[in-house]
Amino acid sequence: MRDSANIMKTETATDRLGLAMRASHVLVAVFVVAALAFAAIGSWSGDTFFLRLATEALIFAGFALSVDILLGYTGLLSLGQALYFGLGAYVSAVVLKEVPSFWAAMGAALVSALVIGFVTGLVANRVRGVYFALVTFGLAQVAAKAVYNTRSLGASDGLIGVPIVPIDIGVTTVMSNSPVGFFLFTLAFIVVLYAICAYLLDTPFGRVLVALRANEARVPFLGYSTRHARLAAYVLAAVIATLSGALYPMLRGFVSPELLFFSTSGNAVITVVLGGVGTLVGALYGGVILTILKSVVGSMTEHHLIVIGLLFMGTVIFLPKGLMGFVRPRVERLISGKSK
Amino acid sequence: MTAFLDYFQFVLAPQMITGLSLGVAVVLVALGLTIIFGLLDVINMSHGEFYAVGAYLALSLGLSGVSFWLLLFIVPLAMVPVGYMVERGLIQRVFNKPDRHVTTLLLTFGLGLVMEEVLKVVFGPNTQRPPTPISGAMDLFGVILPNYRAFLIVVGLVIIGLVAIVLNKTRLGAVVRAAAFDRNMAASLGVPVTRVYALTFAFGVALAGLAGVLLAPVFSVFPTMGRDFVFLAFTVVIVGGMGSIAGTVVAGLLLTQVQAISSLIVSPVWSDPIVFGIMVLMLVIRPQGLFGRLGHA
Repeated sequence: MRDSANIMKTETATDRLGLAMRASHVLVAVFVVAALAFAAIGSWSGDTFFLRLATEALIFAGFALSVDILLGYTGLLSLGQALYFGLGAYVSAVVLKEVPSFWAAMGAALVSALVIGFVTGLVANRVRGVYFALVTFGLAQVAAKAVYNTRSLGASDGLIGVPIVPIDIGVTTVMSNSPVGFFLFTLAFIVVLYAICAYLLDTPFGRVLVALRANEARVPFLGYSTRHARLAAYVLAAVIATLSGALYPMLRGFVSPELLFFSTSGNAVITVVLGGVGTLVGALYGGVILTILKSVVGSMTEHHLIVIGLLFMGTVIFLPKGLMGFVRPRVERLISGKSK
Repeated sequence: MTAFLDYFQFVLAPQMITGLSLGVAVVLVALGLTIIFGLLDVINMSHGEFYAVGAYLALSLGLSGVSFWLLLFIVPLAMVPVGYMVERGLIQRVFNKPDRHVTTLLLTFGLGLVMEEVLKVVFGPNTQRPPTPISGAMDLFGVILPNYRAFLIVVGLVIIGLVAIVLNKTRLGAVVRAAAFDRNMAASLGVPVTRVYALTFAFGVALAGLAGVLLAPVFSVFPTMGRDFVFLAFTVVIVGGMGSIAGTVVAGLLLTQVQAISSLIVSPVWSDPIVFGIMVLMLVIRPQGLFGRLGHA
C-alpha cells in the first residue's frame, strides 16, 4: 500500500515538470502564430524596418536562450555569454566574406563553438556561484579587448560588407536580405533551437541538470558526474549562443566589437529575467518585450535604459520568475483541465 | 649603466608612480566592494556608479564654490544615507531568497544601469574635468612627481590604513567581523546585525564616493566612468580574495604595477587583457584568491 502511494507520488512529480514544459510548448506555439501574423501584416504593408527589427529581436531571443540554459537549469549566471554570440557573428562574417555560403558559415560557427566552448568550459566550470559570473565576465572581456585591437578583424570598426547570402533549405531558397523571408527563416531557426534545448533538457541529462541546481552536493552520491553534466550544459549554451550570433551579420551586413561587450551579455540576462528564468520560452517573450521597450520608450526618450533598468529591478524584487512565472501556471491549469 | 639609469629616471619610475596612484585609487574602490562582500555576501554591481556619483557630486559642488578639502568630508558623508537606504530598501528585499548571490547581483546590476542613465540625464554625456586642487610638481631624487599625485598616494594610503585599523583593532571592527563570521551568533550576543549590515554597505559606498572625489581631477568625470573603473576593481578583489582587506591592497598595488610596466613593453591596449588574464588564471589555480575572507581568520 505504501509502495503504491510512493509510485503515485513520483508519477505526479515527473508530471509537474513535464506539464510545465508542455505549457512552454503551448506558449511557443502562441508565439509562432503571433509572429506569423506579424509577418503577414509586414509583407502585406510592404514594411522593411519593423520586420528587420523583429528579426533582430528573434536573434537576440535565441541568444538569451543560452543564458537561460545556464541560469535556469544549472543555476549559474553567465555575465560573458556575449563571447559566444560575438564568436558566431565574427566567424560567420569572416567565412561569408570568403565563401558566401550559409551552410559553410553555420558549420564553421558550430565547430568554433564546440572547440572554444569546450576549452573555456573547462576553465569556467572550475568555479561556482559568484566566481562563475566573474570568470565568464573576464573571459568575454579578454576576447572583446583582443578583437577590439586586432587589425585583421577590423579592430574598433568591425567588419563591414558581409555579402547577401542565399539560404538553401531544400524546398526553397531564402535570400538573407528579404525582410519577410529572412524573418520567417530566423523564426524557424530559433524554434528549432528551442526544440533542441527542450528535448535535451527532457532527457536524463536534463534531469541531472535540474538535480544539480537543486542540490549539487547530492548528485554525485546518486551516481552521476556533475562535471560532465555541467560541461555539457556549458557547451550546449555556447553552441546556441554562437549559432544565434552567426545569423547577425546576415541580417545587418556587418559585425562590430560591441557584440562582444558586457552590454550584450547584460541585455541577454535582462531578457531572460524579464521573460522568466528556467522556462526556455521566457527567453523568446523576453527578447520581444525588450525590443518593444527599447523602440517604444526609445522613441520617446533616449534615456530608455532608466525605464528598462527600473522594470528589471522591479521584476527581480516582485516577480522573480518573470513574465512566464505569471503566465505559465495559468496555461498549465488550462492544459491539465483539458486533459481531465 | 647610465642608459638604464636614464631609462629608470625618465620612463620606468614615472610610469610606476602613475601606476601607484592608480593602484591606491583602485584599492579604495575595491575595499568597499570587498568589505560589502565579506560581510553581506553580496556582489555590488552598482559600486562603480557610486564612485561616479561621488565624482559628480565633487564636480558640481566644486563648481558652486565649495572647497576641495571640505568635499573630501562632505561627499562620503552624503553617500552614507544613500547607501543605507539602498541596503534597507532594495537589497534586504531579496536578501533571504534562496539564490542570494545571483539575485543581489542582478538587482545591483539593474541599479547601476539606472544610476548611470540618471547621471547622463542630470549632467549630460560629456566628459568634464574639475580643476586640480594642488598644482605644481616636485622633484623626487630626479624623478618628476606631480604634487596632486603625491597627495593622492599619501591620502589613499592613510585611508587604507585607517580602514584596516578600524576593522582589525577596534570594537566596532570586531562587531563587523563577528557579524561576517556568524550572523546568528552575533545577533544572539546582542549585535544589531541588520543595522550593522546597512551601515557597512553605506560605508563601502562612501569609500567609493571618496575615491570619486580624489580621482575626478586626475581621470576626468563622465557618466560611464564607474563601469570602466569597477572592472579593474573587481579584478583586484578576485585576485586578492573576495572579502580580504590585505589581499585587496596587495593585489591592487601589484596589478596596477603589472599594468603600468607591461604597457612599456607591449602596446598599452594589451594591458587590460593581461590583467584580466591574470584574474582568470588566478580563478583557475586558486579560486579563493591570495588571502582568506573577512572574519575568517
